[in-house]
Formats: sequence, C-alpha cells, structure tokens
Amino acid sequence: MNNRIKKGCVTLLLSVLSLSACAQNKRVTLMLDWFVNPNHGPIIVALQQGYFDEQGLTVKIQEPADPSLPAKLVAANKVDLAISYQTSLTIDVAAKLPLIRASTLISTPLNTMMVLDNGKINTLADLKGKKIGIAIAGNEEAIIGTMLQTAGVNYSDVEIIHVGWALSSALASGKVDAIWGGFRNFESNQLAIEGYPSKAFYPEEHGVPMYDELVVVANADHYDADAIGKFNKAIEKATAYILNHPKKAWTIFVSYSPDTLDNELNQRAWRDTLTRFDLRPAAVDLKRYDEFTQFLFDHKVIPFKPKSGDFVPTL
Amino acid sequence: MPPRNPFTRSAQSAEVKPRKIGSSLLQGVITVIVILAIWQCIVIFFKMPSFILPSPGAVLQKLVQRADVLVFHAWVTMQEILLGLLLGLTMGLFFALQMLLFKPLKRWLLPILIASQAIPVFAIAPILMLWLGYGIASKVVMAALIIFFPVTTCCYDGLRSTPTGYLDLAQTMSASRWQTLRHIRLPAALPTLASGIRVAVVVAPIGAVVGEWVGSSAGLGYLMLQANARMMIDEMFAALFILALFSISLYFMTDQCLKRAIHWRL
Repeated sequence: MNNRIKKGCVTLLLSVLSLSACAQNKRVTLMLDWFVNPNHGPIIVALQQGYFDEQGLTVKIQEPADPSLPAKLVAANKVDLAISYQTSLTIDVAAKLPLIRASTLISTPLNTMMVLDNGKINTLADLKGKKIGIAIAGNEEAIIGTMLQTAGVNYSDVEIIHVGWALSSALASGKVDAIWGGFRNFESNQLAIEGYPSKAFYPEEHGVPMYDELVVVANADHYDADAIGKFNKAIEKATAYILNHPKKAWTIFVSYSPDTLDNELNQRAWRDTLTRFDLRPAAVDLKRYDEFTQFLFDHKVIPFKPKSGDFVPTL
Repeated sequence: MPPRNPFTRSAQSAEVKPRKIGSSLLQGVITVIVILAIWQCIVIFFKMPSFILPSPGAVLQKLVQRADVLVFHAWVTMQEILLGLLLGLTMGLFFALQMLLFKPLKRWLLPILIASQAIPVFAIAPILMLWLGYGIASKVVMAALIIFFPVTTCCYDGLRSTPTGYLDLAQTMSASRWQTLRHIRLPAALPTLASGIRVAVVVAPIGAVVGEWVGSSAGLGYLMLQANARMMIDEMFAALFILALFSISLYFMTDQCLKRAIHWRL
C-alpha cells in the first residue's frame, strides 16, 4: 500500500514537472499556406530537430483547406502566425487587414508562366491569342500583363481561365496553352513525372520586380515580437542545417509524415527548393517591399500604397 | 335568400387574388428589411471588420458601383443555370419514363440515378472540367447533374402512384398504353413532378457556381473568387446577393407558372 502511494506521488510529481516545463514554453499556432510540402522545409526540420523547443517555443502546425484562409485567420486573431505570400500580404494590408510580415521563408518568386516543352510556344510572344490557366490570386492581370508586355503582347490578347488547383492537369491535357501560378520547384517536377516536360518563363526576368514568395505573417495588433524573434532564430538554424546536410535534412523532413511526404515528387521538389530558402528569415529589404507595392499600385491591384515600414516592422 | 351565383363567387375570388399577392409582397419586403437590420446590428455591435462581414450599405454601394461587371457575370451564370435546368429536367423526365415503361431497365438505371446523387459534385467538378473544357458545357452539366436526382425521383414517384381507379377506368375503356400515359399517368404525375421542379430551380445555381469555382473565365463564381483574392468582401457579397436573388425569383416564377398550369390535385 505504502509503495503504491509512493509510486503515485512520484508519478504526480513527474507530471507536474513536465507540465511546468511545457508551461515555460510559449505556445504558437502556425497555419501553413497549403498541405506540408518542401517549401516548408525549415519549419518542419526545426520542429523535428527540436530547434523551436531550444528557443522555448511550442509550435503547433495547422494545414488549411483554402490558401486564402490563413492570413484572414491571423487578422481575426484566431491563429498566431500564418504562411502567406508577399503579393497577398500587400493586397491584404491595402484592404486594411491588420497584418505584418514576421519572417521570410522563400525570398524569390516561385511562380512561373509554364508551357509544355513541345516546341509550340518558345517565347512569351507566342502566347498571343492563346489560353492561360490561372488559380486566382488577385494579381494576375498585373503580373501576367507585365510579362506579356515585355514581349509586345497585350493582356487582352490572351484568354485567362481560372482552373483552380488543377494547374498541371489543365496544361498537360491541353485545355490551356500555359499556366500561371505553377511553382518552379513543384509543378515543373509534377509535369515531368507525368511525362510532360515543361518550360518556364520567370516573372523576375520579364519586367516584374522581385518579391518574397513565402512570408510568415502575424497580427499587427497582437503580435508577440519576442516569440517571432525566437521563431526566426529556430528556422534560421534549420535552414543552415538543411544547406549543410541536404540528404540528412530530407530524411528528417519526411519523418514528419512519411506516408504523405516520402514520394518522388517531393524528393525532386526538395532538391529544387534548397537554393530558395531564405538564409536570413528575419532580415528584410524595405526598399524592395516598397518597389513591389508601387508595382501593384501602378497596375491598380491595390487602391493605395501601404508604407512598408508600417506592415514590415523591425522586430 | 336567393342562391348565390357561381360567377359572382368567382369574381370575388378574382378580387381577393391581387390583395393576396400584394400582401405576400409586403411580407417579403418586411422579411428583407428585418434581415438587413439584423445584419447591420451585428456589424455595429460586434464591431465586425469589413473583411469578415461587410455592412449592407457597403454591399449596396458595390452593387451600384460595379453594376456593369456584375450584370456581365450574372448573365453568364444565368445562361448556365437555365441551360442546366433544361438539360436536367429533360434527362430526369426521360429517365423516369424509361423506368416506368421498361420495368427491367429500372434495375439498371436506379444505381446510376443514386450514384448521380451520391457523388459530391465538388469532387467530380475538376474531372468534368478536364472532360468538357472550361467553357459553358461543364457548368451546364454540373447544374443538370445536381438537379437530376430530385427531378427523376419525383417524376418517377408521380408516375408510379397513379390512383388505381383511374388506371382501371382506362383499362375498361380499352385505352392504349400511350393513351393511358398521355391522358392519365402524366397529368396525375404532374403535381409530384412540380415539387421536384421547385427543388431543382433552387439548387441548379449551386451546380453552376461550383463549376465556375473549379474552372471558368466568367460568371458570378469567378467574380466571387476574384473579389475574395483581392479582399473585396463587399463585392463578393454583392455577387452572392445576385445569386440568391436568382434562386428566389426562379423559385417564385416557377411556382406561379406551375400553380397556373397544374390546377388539379389528386
């Protein structure tokens, strides 16, 4: 009996201790932009390697059903952090959503104008009179229009069709001649695996200013600067680890969910994403943000120009 | 007291009708005003940010401001709905007749009929897009698919449940199979079919919009996606309002037409 009481006391003590250890950690909910994929490499590796724990953070990852939802949930203060896109963030801030950029995950564009590599479309000029499939993000007219303009084609000369998330299949089936919004590290590999080699035109090479593809956003009124700083430290460390040990990092990444992550597409995408991760997630170039905001304003995507200093605070 | 002239009675009822329509219109207007007032109150009292729930005023402003764009996209969706209804109703009627006239066929057609309802349209929408393209055809098929089940089952039930007295009478008068169908079974089935049609006109817009959601270059669903991406939630609500207006007016128009056309009840 005595023994039992002793055992009970020890168990109770242990559980209280472990609870208090948890209580010391700050809890942060992070909603991804999409289901887990190689673009989230640093976050998953930081989680699996315990880098968040080292910083005193407990990060809970959620996956959304719709990529336009996470930023709204942050604005509504339902989740702490969310992955969004610089293009969407600028549009959201111009629509008065209380959002700030907290860190950068991927600091170059990933979007491309993709066509099948079958000799039919060799330059952007060949797209005149053709169909372009998109997944509506609100900035298509500005970006596609600018890209086409560099080849002397007007936006009104092409037919824009919203194809939802069936970008690859729309292109492969020939229902559209090009797709905008396919990621250079993902859709190109997806098409290649299905036996449709593709070719990409990059926005930054065709008149569109540089922008961060994936950023982490937080609520402008309720953000926790300390937690964000720690979060950035953890993913910075994870990024360095990934670059130093790409193969090991891959096994760590898939260990998060082997059933869904360990496949050929992700393996190929992983290879192409390695060079895209931002080495300094906390660092930011305000001038670059301003230039991109100006670009969206000039193309009437946003009604006014939010100042980068306001939604990209120095943390 | 002299016996009442039947014609005067009918004249009386004719007088009553416009008042009835007037009062139901008034009821409708009151309902709309109450809903708008509640909506406005929610926005004010809960301090709803405009990206979660815009005020009715902002939506109305968008309706006026973007009237040209809304009309263009509404016209596209309207065409899809009407063609979808036409296709769905024709198919439903055809299927129901086949099942009635060729009994053994029923066993083969029934699973198809149930499958058409069991498969969520949202799930097969992307596949339909790849088969039928991103034009109007895929939306028409989606709208038709979504109404196919209620129309077919209602029509089939109606055709099946003809009062046996009528059928016996037809047999006594040695009516042919065609005559029985034309003069007895079909008219007797119409009131039940009418319920199916009423359901169909309300749900058909769902099919069309789901189609636009998955792949399109115009239409209210397309406009809503654009508005959502640009955080213009008031414009999204404006499109939603038009869509609701479509369903409601389609319902009442169909209801009135059906009431006039089918004045008998079994």
